[in-house]
Amino acid sequence: MPRAFYDEMHLASGECRSHYREFARWLADTPTELLAQRRREADLLFHRAGITFTLYGDDQGTERLIPFDIIPRSIPASEWRIVERGCIQRVQALNMFLADLYHDQRIIKAGIVPAEQVLANEGYQMAMQGLDLHRNIYAHIAGVDLVRDGDGSYYVLEDNLRTPSGVSYMLEDRKMMMRLFPELFAAQRIAPVNHYPNLLLDTLKSSSPLDNPTVVVLTPGRFNSAYFEHAFLAREMGVELVEGADLFVRDDKLYMRTTAGAKQVDVVYRRLDDAFLDPLAFNPDSMLGVPGLLACYRSGNVVLANAIGTGVADDKSIYPYVDEMIRFYLSEEPILKNVPTWQCRKPADLSHVLANLPDLVVKETQGSGGYGMLVGPAATKAEIEAFRARLIARPEAYIAQPTLCLSTCPTFVENGIAPRHIDLRPFVLSGKETRIVPGGLTRVALREGSLVVNSSQGGGTKDTWVVED
Amino acid sequence: MRLSISHDTTYHYDDQVRGSIQYLRMTPHDSERQQVIDWQLKLPRPTRAQLDPYGNILHVLTLDEPHESIVISASGQVVIDEQREAEHEAQSPLPFLRFTRLTEADEALRAFARQQCAARQDRHGLIDLMHALNAHISYQPGSTVVDTSAAQAFAGGQGVCQDHAHAFLACARSLGIPARYVSGYLFTDSHDHLASHAWAEAWVDGAWYSFDVTNCLARPERHLKLAVGLDYLDACPVRGMRRGGGGEQMCAHVLVSPVLRVQQQ
Repeated sequence: MPRAFYDEMHLASGECRSHYREFARWLADTPTELLAQRRREADLLFHRAGITFTLYGDDQGTERLIPFDIIPRSIPASEWRIVERGCIQRVQALNMFLADLYHDQRIIKAGIVPAEQVLANEGYQMAMQGLDLHRNIYAHIAGVDLVRDGDGSYYVLEDNLRTPSGVSYMLEDRKMMMRLFPELFAAQRIAPVNHYPNLLLDTLKSSSPLDNPTVVVLTPGRFNSAYFEHAFLAREMGVELVEGADLFVRDDKLYMRTTAGAKQVDVVYRRLDDAFLDPLAFNPDSMLGVPGLLACYRSGNVVLANAIGTGVADDKSIYPYVDEMIRFYLSEEPILKNVPTWQCRKPADLSHVLANLPDLVVKETQGSGGYGMLVGPAATKAEIEAFRARLIARPEAYIAQPTLCLSTCPTFVENGIAPRHIDLRPFVLSGKETRIVPGGLTRVALREGSLVVNSSQGGGTKDTWVVED
Repeated sequence: MRLSISHDTTYHYDDQVRGSIQYLRMTPHDSERQQVIDWQLKLPRPTRAQLDPYGNILHVLTLDEPHESIVISASGQVVIDEQREAEHEAQSPLPFLRFTRLTEADEALRAFARQQCAARQDRHGLIDLMHALNAHISYQPGSTVVDTSAAQAFAGGQGVCQDHAHAFLACARSLGIPARYVSGYLFTDSHDHLASHAWAEAWVDGAWYSFDVTNCLARPERHLKLAVGLDYLDACPVRGMRRGGGGEQMCAHVLVSPVLRVQQQ
């Protein structure tokens, strides 16, 4: 029987891949008792540090730990360099796409992307039309979700250009591994990631034309699932963590209230969706934003990172065009592959999808976080039929893709070590230059056979190593 | 026709307001149909004019000294070209295909739009739609509130000009026709309808045409345009927030009247 999944650690022969050899040796030499003890220690430390995640749609409504697995996901440096170049290329093209959409719309005039698909898209913001941004950067922080298919080749599953989260887990997972198993880091060269907050601050500062701008992190508040991360990043960067109520607008300038009086704010790293930013311009019920912020932003008196209106470029209905964008704006061939995608708004694509639902993954074009998607092979007949009805009612709201054989990585489970499916989210920072810290966040689907790695759907995380080979 | 407008709005608060901020769209701009002769917006403190996302003239009034009332007065003269029906624009109309919470088309509105326009998705079809909506939603001040949606007003069968415009937008967009909300002033001979008014525009034959459901008018002869948007929230003359103040009484006085032309020698 052919081997269906690409295993990150082992070759088909069962032999350990070279970049995992050092770790495998260590794992074999370390007593099981000691590993178990260290895993309990990790749980305790994460709990004490308050690294938690709020689950939506759960009546318990409370925070819980994201499970951390001590077996790292390791990538050889030579392989990483390709992934890195691919992510940078992709994010550069997406930023150019956004700048083009909100100005000359050359890509529409060239007939590459249909006008209606972008202009009538909910993510397209009229407020950005004709607005010039410093360095023409829209997505200062991007998360590119990657998976590997059966033959090990990397595919981009989606681009996250709005408010991608998870980078705090990347940093905390590394801290934890270094604390629990320092010997592993002495034995081999593992690329560091702890400079991410410095790079982030540098990126945010370079998004403003000012020499030394005042930067804040804007959070929706402690009920948000990623509140821990907002607080963590503000602390690591040494900038203020603020909520909407801490800010106010006067004469088109943004200020924060401080004990020493009002202080002007120049750059807002906002972890708040577009719709909630300014109750006078968007959702009037938003208690989370700052009244007047949009007018202040459009006057050029404050930078928002990410910019408003990036959602039009990471919409799943735009995803199929990213390869063409790379060719159009950069005159380069895409380094990373796109997953073949059926656009259900096209009648021919829809009938193919309806005929093959049990084999496909169907996603909402506007969805994120693994809510409201169908994984055909894992779904019951009833679930498939329910989804079929939704597809027929609103075909334009869905895309479908073949079910990929996500790669697996050995993971601690209840009865020992077993392969579990993983993905990878590198965080791409765009400022004066486009940069990535080596690796990213590896998420692991802890349920046997599950392909959904989102933390909201029972996923865990692993430390991600880029190892010199 | 030359119109003279005077629009005074006074807000009185029960308690002191500690701070307030307002987005004001109370200044018309020149277009193919209208020429602004002069216009003044008097505000409690000087405020710079800017353009909002839809190209409307926007003033952002921020008051952070305690206050118990706010007086805003707009006045001026505008010439309306009665001969011109359509307005051309270089910007793509496609963003105006999108639904908003207030203009969401439910099954009833979609079916109504299909039935009224049938195969004629042109200006005539939309004029029929305008008449049909006027008949279906009777003009009844006080029957709806500011955040009543198109679907709710349609189901209730009563509403004001805002509801008429929203229902028209929902229907037009459900047919794939870009349509937008217009807020402005209307000169009327009767006192039935307020002079502050709202109507709709739809993109047909490469230009924006007006559809005033409330008055069954497809020619905007007496309409002075202030602002456009996806719905009321984007285009309304005043959208604000305040801290403190308790209850509020708003008193608006609008006067729209024709100016007699001085006979040229």
